[in-house]
Amino acid sequence: MFEMVLPRGRFSPAVVLSIGLTLLRVPLSAQDAELRVGVGLHAIGLATRVAPALAGETMTATYLTQPMVFGHVAGGHGRFMATLNLEGLTLKDGELAPGNAGEGWVDKRHPHTWLHEMVVTATTRLAGVDVSVTGGRGFAPFGTDDPMVRPFVRYPANHHWSQILERWLLIGAVRRGRLTVEAGIFNGAEPGGPDDLGNFDRFADSWSVRATVRPRAWLELQGGYAFVESPEHAGGFGLDQRKWNTAARIQRTICERRRIYALVEWGETHEYVDDLKLFIFTTVLAESAFGLDDWTFALRYERTTRPEEERLLDPFRVVRPHTDENIIGATRWNTVTASAGHTFAVRGIGFAPFVEAGRSTVGEIAGGLFDPAALYGGTTLWSVSLGVRLRAGARHERMGRYGVAMPAAADAAAHNH
Amino acid sequence: MLNRSLRVLALIPLVAAACDRDPLANDDGFEPREPITIPVIGHGMITGRWSAEVAARGDWAYTTTWSRRVAPGNAIMVWNVAADTPILADSVIVDGAATLGDVQISDDGSLLVVATEYTGGSIVIFDRTTPDRLVQLSRFTSEATMRGVHTVKLGHVNGRHYAFLSIDPSPAQLVIVDITDPENPTEVLVRVMGQPYVHDVFVRDGLLFTALWDAGMDVLDIGGATAGGSVQNPVRLGNVVTVNGNVHNLWWYHDAAGGKRYVFLGEEGPGSVTGGSSSGDVHVVDVSDMAAPREVAFYHVPGAGAHNFHVDEEAGILYAAFYNGGVRAIDVTGDLSQCSADARAADGRCNLELAGREAGFALTDGNPAVSIWGVARVGRYLYASDMLSGIYKLDVQPLRQ
Repeated sequence: MFEMVLPRGRFSPAVVLSIGLTLLRVPLSAQDAELRVGVGLHAIGLATRVAPALAGETMTATYLTQPMVFGHVAGGHGRFMATLNLEGLTLKDGELAPGNAGEGWVDKRHPHTWLHEMVVTATTRLAGVDVSVTGGRGFAPFGTDDPMVRPFVRYPANHHWSQILERWLLIGAVRRGRLTVEAGIFNGAEPGGPDDLGNFDRFADSWSVRATVRPRAWLELQGGYAFVESPEHAGGFGLDQRKWNTAARIQRTICERRRIYALVEWGETHEYVDDLKLFIFTTVLAESAFGLDDWTFALRYERTTRPEEERLLDPFRVVRPHTDENIIGATRWNTVTASAGHTFAVRGIGFAPFVEAGRSTVGEIAGGLFDPAALYGGTTLWSVSLGVRLRAGARHERMGRYGVAMPAAADAAAHNH
Repeated sequence: MLNRSLRVLALIPLVAAACDRDPLANDDGFEPREPITIPVIGHGMITGRWSAEVAARGDWAYTTTWSRRVAPGNAIMVWNVAADTPILADSVIVDGAATLGDVQISDDGSLLVVATEYTGGSIVIFDRTTPDRLVQLSRFTSEATMRGVHTVKLGHVNGRHYAFLSIDPSPAQLVIVDITDPENPTEVLVRVMGQPYVHDVFVRDGLLFTALWDAGMDVLDIGGATAGGSVQNPVRLGNVVTVNGNVHNLWWYHDAAGGKRYVFLGEEGPGSVTGGSSSGDVHVVDVSDMAAPREVAFYHVPGAGAHNFHVDEEAGILYAAFYNGGVRAIDVTGDLSQCSADARAADGRCNLELAGREAGFALTDGNPAVSIWGVARVGRYLYASDMLSGIYKLDVQPLRQ
């Protein structure tokens, strides 16, 4: 449908898109006469209700969330991939999500940047080892997949503990047998808004490593470490982060009609000023999805701590850049989320209506100023969402890995829709 | 032989006296104090908002509010403090403010000025002729103040009245506003400074001291020195970067005898506000040579950090808000660069606590928990703003005797 296999040499958009490969002077195999091109669309129409959201009041919001266009061009030893995210248009006020925090937003998820990903990857094989080099903008090699490609629409509170996204990066990866090791350098500063294309002058001030073992094709074990310099202050005057993450992931088709997915992860983020450790934030998450024919049922439990900061007149925003290095407390969020959905296709467009409900309890754990009961009007927050996912074309199966770090099956699936 | 023996005998009482001398006594003869518990005589409570800064004059005190507790930090609380217990007499809501981080009363008591954050930052100038009925005279905002006015300080220079605004980043900058006509304030200077912030200033005698966080403290001539500086064009005289940086606030101390040797700097270290994890010391900088200020002493409270302070210059007592560490009073009389070996840190600075200069403390037992933001003294009373609960009234007369 949307994927084209084109002979080389014929002028086409795919040839234009492969400029990146040409610039890299990727040695294309003389026998590889095909370029593989894939384009996909994704969006979720959503209505969410949260009670209480603030000061005992219930809030309801509707939006188009996660609207994305993504595409790839692959051929020979090279691959170019880009994801454009349109939340700068559709999520200007963020997305209701109790417990979420990041990029100056709190209890709402921030809109992603327009240029969510754009990477060029060159892959080769040396002495029995698969090697890839990836450069561009995307996810640092750390942590777990972005929640966009996971079963729930509501992001977990640990998004910024478990993913390092929308950075300018350079990643090297090697894979031998079941073991893959990645190392990457990137700019530490997180985006300040959808228009923020990142601080080039801070490129390579941060780094991460990740090791992945796949004992079976359906089982993935990974662990990683990241040093992120001043993510919350573009000028470099914020706290640095030292991060750990480990996870186990299962994705398996049990039989023709049954599919199972599960993820368990643990992470810690330590915040420093120079070598002085100030704060520690932790996360534990377990999620699972079971698919039966066209139905999917999913369940997630998460226990995550986060800092509480000075809020602006908009109570879902906090001060950025910081005007000092203090926080006003820390909270622990225990959240259970469940969802059920059904998938069908009309004229090649996939529709997946779903219902999702979550219950969060929040408590202040640092003896700080912050009083969740006073702010929210209670310490148990409920959310319910009704929505429909729309998909067309190629699938973005995994988000957060490039080159040989991608499992071969997912890599093949991304090419073959 | 006899004379020698007599000399030895004569020495004995001197030696004995020396042995009786307090080993912690400073080399300038300062005798260490036994700190007292400063009596807390009243408590005015508000809990719907977090309290921020305090200013006081006569029978009236004013506290501002910060961030969002149940309600946003857009209120000025007006307290009648004539009696022991402060009584909330009125409140004024400032439109469009998320935080009112600073409040100042002019020297003559006629004006009250608050700083507003964040977007659309401004200063609001009130007529204080009737202390419990604040009347807004003007609100100054400009392109330079848009990101938020973090602190404001008032001062007279060459016959004109100015407000000195420290602006939130980025960029962080100092804005000076002529408020001689408070109904028509005009901007006279915008200058980028600080690393990464200019957090606060102190103005006195035509000199401007700026708290530049990790860039330390600048001393600038704005008309009081001979460097040709002015409010429109401040000229830097000198700079000092104090230990740990994070220079947050300042006070240029003029002692009762006319000495002007010291500037006290507050360091706001990182930590969780309240919960026993704030940090930061009071630093003492010798400005005998304004071109070469040097740090000579510090005051440290384990597990707590300094915030704003007020100096009783007549009595030589510095009162410091210490967040979860309550209120601390430090004797700052005499030569603060002199101390015994036991009180001297490895870097040569005098540890004022070890030197026995802690004169008193209040609200330190954690019951109730406090987060003291600021202090202001009027006569024998000290008012302390507590983020958690409102305002405390303390009797500091025992320290003034």
